[in-house]
Amino acid sequence: MKDELMWVEKYRPKRIAEIVGNEEAKVSFVEWLRSNRWRKKAALLYGPPGVGKSALVHAAANELNFKIIEMNASDIRTEKAIGKIAGPATTFVALDKFSANTEGSLLFLDEVDGIFGVQDRGGVGAILKIFAQKKGRKEKKTKERKEIQGSQIPVVLAANDPDLRKLRPLRKVCHLIRFRKVRIPLIVVLLQKICLMEHVTAGFEALEAIARNSGGDVRSAINDLQTLSEGGEALRVQDVASLHPRNRSFDFADTLKGVFSAKSSQEAMSVLNSTTIDFDSLVLSIHDNLPLRCKDPVELGVAYDLLSKADVFRGRIGLENWRLLKYFFSLISQATTVSSQPFQPFDFIFPPMRIIALFWTKGKRVTLEALCAKIGARCHVSRRSAKLDFVPFIKAILKEDKSAPLGAWFQLDDKEMGHLMNMGRL
Amino acid sequence: MEQPENISMWVEKYRPKTLDEVVDLKSVVESLKAFLKTPKTMPHLLFAGMPGTGKTTIALCIARQLFGSSWRTFTLELNASDERGIKIVRERIKDFARYTRGAFGNIPYVIIILDESDQMTRQAQTALRRIMETSSNTCRFMLICNYSSKIIEPIQSRCAVFRFSMLDKENMVEHLGYISGKENVSLLPDAAEAIVEYSEGDLRRAINALQTASAYTKTKTVDKKAVLRVIGEASPKKVQLMLNKALGSDFVEARRMMYELMGQYGLSGSDIIRQVHREIFKVSHLTTEEKAELANIIGEYDFRLVEGANDDIQLSALLAQFSKFGKLREAGN
Repeated sequence: MKDELMWVEKYRPKRIAEIVGNEEAKVSFVEWLRSNRWRKKAALLYGPPGVGKSALVHAAANELNFKIIEMNASDIRTEKAIGKIAGPATTFVALDKFSANTEGSLLFLDEVDGIFGVQDRGGVGAILKIFAQKKGRKEKKTKERKEIQGSQIPVVLAANDPDLRKLRPLRKVCHLIRFRKVRIPLIVVLLQKICLMEHVTAGFEALEAIARNSGGDVRSAINDLQTLSEGGEALRVQDVASLHPRNRSFDFADTLKGVFSAKSSQEAMSVLNSTTIDFDSLVLSIHDNLPLRCKDPVELGVAYDLLSKADVFRGRIGLENWRLLKYFFSLISQATTVSSQPFQPFDFIFPPMRIIALFWTKGKRVTLEALCAKIGARCHVSRRSAKLDFVPFIKAILKEDKSAPLGAWFQLDDKEMGHLMNMGRL
Repeated sequence: MEQPENISMWVEKYRPKTLDEVVDLKSVVESLKAFLKTPKTMPHLLFAGMPGTGKTTIALCIARQLFGSSWRTFTLELNASDERGIKIVRERIKDFARYTRGAFGNIPYVIIILDESDQMTRQAQTALRRIMETSSNTCRFMLICNYSSKIIEPIQSRCAVFRFSMLDKENMVEHLGYISGKENVSLLPDAAEAIVEYSEGDLRRAINALQTASAYTKTKTVDKKAVLRVIGEASPKKVQLMLNKALGSDFVEARRMMYELMGQYGLSGSDIIRQVHREIFKVSHLTTEEKAELANIIGEYDFRLVEGANDDIQLSALLAQFSKFGKLREAGN
């Protein structure tokens, strides 16, 4: 290395203006920090890695004179650990507040999606508590000290998980600030600046290739630039060709697109291996979307046969035989790459059809089960048998002969009778 | 207990109340009568046979014979397919055995009828085996199932096993004739024939069909036309439609219907697959060989359903095989 410092550290933005891209997010964050809103809500910065979430927090703290108390994924963040640091820091007015040149402290929890790992169990609860606790206190002391409510210092969270499903419990107490991938021209300009400072000569095309390869991730682009300039010679496009796209974690749509557009099952397999989506919901979505990829019934039959085998392996894996996972993945990746037709982008079916199908019909199902339980008790059969062997006949009799005393004999109420008469036929 | 005239479902109204009323099943009835002469010697019982062959009826007859009019007090009816989880079964069984113990001197034991017991998991059955041992002084089990092979060996060895064969045509026609006589309807021979064929040896189904058909006639005469109307009305239209869509290679529509069956009717994967299997033989445009081929496919996916994790994926896969089959068939013609 030409320098002791990694370039990402060396060129870490000191001021907000030095951060490239994500202008809206920057404005939103600074406004939040300057106003009093941080007492009631934390800020949750979310978006793909390397686009400047941590950088913004550090730069803003630097510029607005906050002292950062930071915890990130490398610390163990159980509820206890968070409570230990965050608790006192957020409930008591920090002493530094009285010292002349600082606004006080700022609690920064980086990579909060890591909180949901096994070791970090209960971490979310701790974060929620910081804000929930204050409400209790507020009720007690509203009259005397109105100003003590909410957190005493700003709390900032940063997360990578783009679909936010895991972070749902936090949404109530968080002001959401979204970060997007940084546009390629902006990255190129930044790389040019760094080249100037580091006395690296690089062609525009080479820098553009680096930027493109980074997929909007500024940090990885800077890292790549540094790696490629180690040779000390002028940087050409050919040198950039040695770069490999990083194994990034795919979000839902990316993963589906990846497995369905893969040209070989190996390629689909590598997508599966690098996705962070839990594979039970993934397999449901593949099942939903498979007919859109395999339009030909013959190919679809083959693909579904493989998916069905994969599901059998899922059953065998259960909760313990995880060594079978490789067969599960292998079968899925074969299933998604059956079609001989080139991949045409289509709108994915999401959320899973099963969830929609079962959600809307819950009321009907419950009523049907209740009336089948009554029939079953009367005729000494199971609910299932009542549903299949009795309901069609009972309905037919009642339709023909409205006066038949069946309803009274089964002790069906009006709702159940109504449902019985109006439900569609099996 | 209800008076017969108040009972509106004929299956209940004409369910035999004593073993003497049971006309067929001679050998089963004889052995059971022998047991009942000295009730204390009666072992646990296991009744195996297809639906509608009289297993539950016989079990209820025994309960009546033992306890007379208060049989409901001393009999616990559980259905393994409703009471999911051994915990509930275990607690209810234990409570029930405890509640009656020694309190009534002239009662030899209480009876627990466990219907559809082949629906229980192996673990549940293993737990049940222990309960059968510890409570053998205070209660007797009557296990009812379709396939005794699904009951674990240790339980089978603790029970006297009775196999219920399907009712033959003559017996069935006789039963239907008896009931229609009591109800003052005349059942024409070809109508009886049609009901018997439709019910596939299931007497419960046959009686339900008879009652529905007689509701359709104003003249107190059940003819073949009325029976065919019942069959049409009671047939699972949605399942047939789903099947036709799949065989016509409209997989997406077939799958949508499958979700409707699961959602609106709460049918499980195995419920649907059983219906599909029954309906596939009624599809008129398929040859016998083709039906056999499809039945093989159904069998394979029924098996995978047991092993797999998601019913809807396995069923969709089955539908996809149907639409593949339909496509290839169309191409072949």
